[in-house]
Amino acid sequence: MKHNFDNLNLIFDKYPKTQESLIAVLQDIQKEYQYLPCEALEQTSEVLDVPLSKVFSVSTFYNSFSLTAKGDKVIKICTGTACHIRGAKLLQDQLENHLSIKAGETTEDMKFTLEVVACVGACAMAPVVVVGEKYHGSVKVSKVKKLVKAK
Amino acid sequence: MIHITINGKVVQAKDGEMLLTVIRREQIDIPTLCHHEAVEPSGACRLCMVEITKPSWDGWCDYVTSCLYPAEDGLIVNTHAPKVNELRSSILDMFLARHPKSPEIRQLAAEYGVMKTQFEEVVDGDNCILCGICTRICDTMGFKAISMVGRGHGKEVAPPLNMAPAACVGCLSCAKNCPTNYIEYNMKNGGLTIWKKDFEMIACTECGATTITKEFAEYLSVNRDIPFDYFEKCDACHRKELAGTMGRIANWDREARS
Ligand code: SF4
Ligand code: SF4
Ligand code: FES
Ligand code: FES
Repeated sequence: MKHNFDNLNLIFDKYPKTQESLIAVLQDIQKEYQYLPCEALEQTSEVLDVPLSKVFSVSTFYNSFSLTAKGDKVIKICTGTACHIRGAKLLQDQLENHLSIKAGETTEDMKFTLEVVACVGACAMAPVVVVGEKYHGSVKVSKVKKLVKAK
Repeated sequence: MIHITINGKVVQAKDGEMLLTVIRREQIDIPTLCHHEAVEPSGACRLCMVEITKPSWDGWCDYVTSCLYPAEDGLIVNTHAPKVNELRSSILDMFLARHPKSPEIRQLAAEYGVMKTQFEEVVDGDNCILCGICTRICDTMGFKAISMVGRGHGKEVAPPLNMAPAACVGCLSCAKNCPTNYIEYNMKNGGLTIWKKDFEMIACTECGATTITKEFAEYLSVNRDIPFDYFEKCDACHRKELAGTMGRIANWDREARS
């Protein structure tokens, strides 16, 4: 995938060029491109003077960072304890079938990425599915298709 | 200087030095998998666990990783208390479940009486115990070419972006210090491949044996002031040369005396 990396400098300019800025910079890059492109990681390593190995280590440690391009909408199925008990697995099966991808994958048209995450902190509404930024609680299998209507 | 008691014997120690250092100095054998003199301790393997107590603790004991626990005056240490041995066996039991094929782990576990794990064995696992010796050594050497990647079940040692690491000079320090010999490298036809990166080795100008990679020699000559041509001779030929020099000196001596 081709990107315009001009915006990277805008991100770098926001922070002091030290290793302490690493996570903030990575967060901004993730927001800008929806993932962390390799070239961006290499530039980050150079600009902040942090070894590429350490940049990679941090990038792969946090779940909020992704190293592969994601779809326009990221659908997160919570499989934390509460959601698991209330049928998260059924929702996952249903969504996987409906989108014809497995959890962790992105649809060919780059519209949706399906992910499973552990507890999103809304257990009272279990089972929870997060579509983009929006939380959907007490999701029923029959409602799942509606969540991805945009398809 | 302070005094601590190890297994009933009072020994001297420097204030603040790690218990493991004192224990080893006393030639007491306790198992470790993540300790290496050259790098900072990290407490990753938990095997160096010992029992500590103090008279003022009223009979209470604590179990600590000796590689990370600073010696303090009056500390009473037991390196092989029943509870310590028990802890070590259960840690080794888990290591064995995760790396059932590793000869090093199997041997160590057997020494602590664990012949077979009571947990479910990981099939298709690898022999990397995630001790981090390789990454810490590479950091300490100053190359910082590899690191821990991912976390939880997926954690592994890898070069950045899973590509041949630009920063690696092929010094082999990671591979040669890996306690389970997990890091693969290949040396043939005057070349070296490690972490999917290919290197050319310097050949000894005398006998043709390979010495170290060009990149490593360049690094050492620039940063450690060792002349580059030192690496154009292998250890054996350096020694031959040294023996020759010593022989000549002995001859002069003899001639001078006669
Ligand atoms: S061989 Fe490469 S990765 Fe291993 S310690 Fe040396 S520089 Fe680091
Ligand atoms: S590769 Fe070897 S040295 Fe590195 S973490 Fe794994 S077991 Fe330890
Ligand atoms: S377990 Fe799903 S929100 Fe907590
Ligand atoms: S030697 Fe591994 S934890 Fe101390």
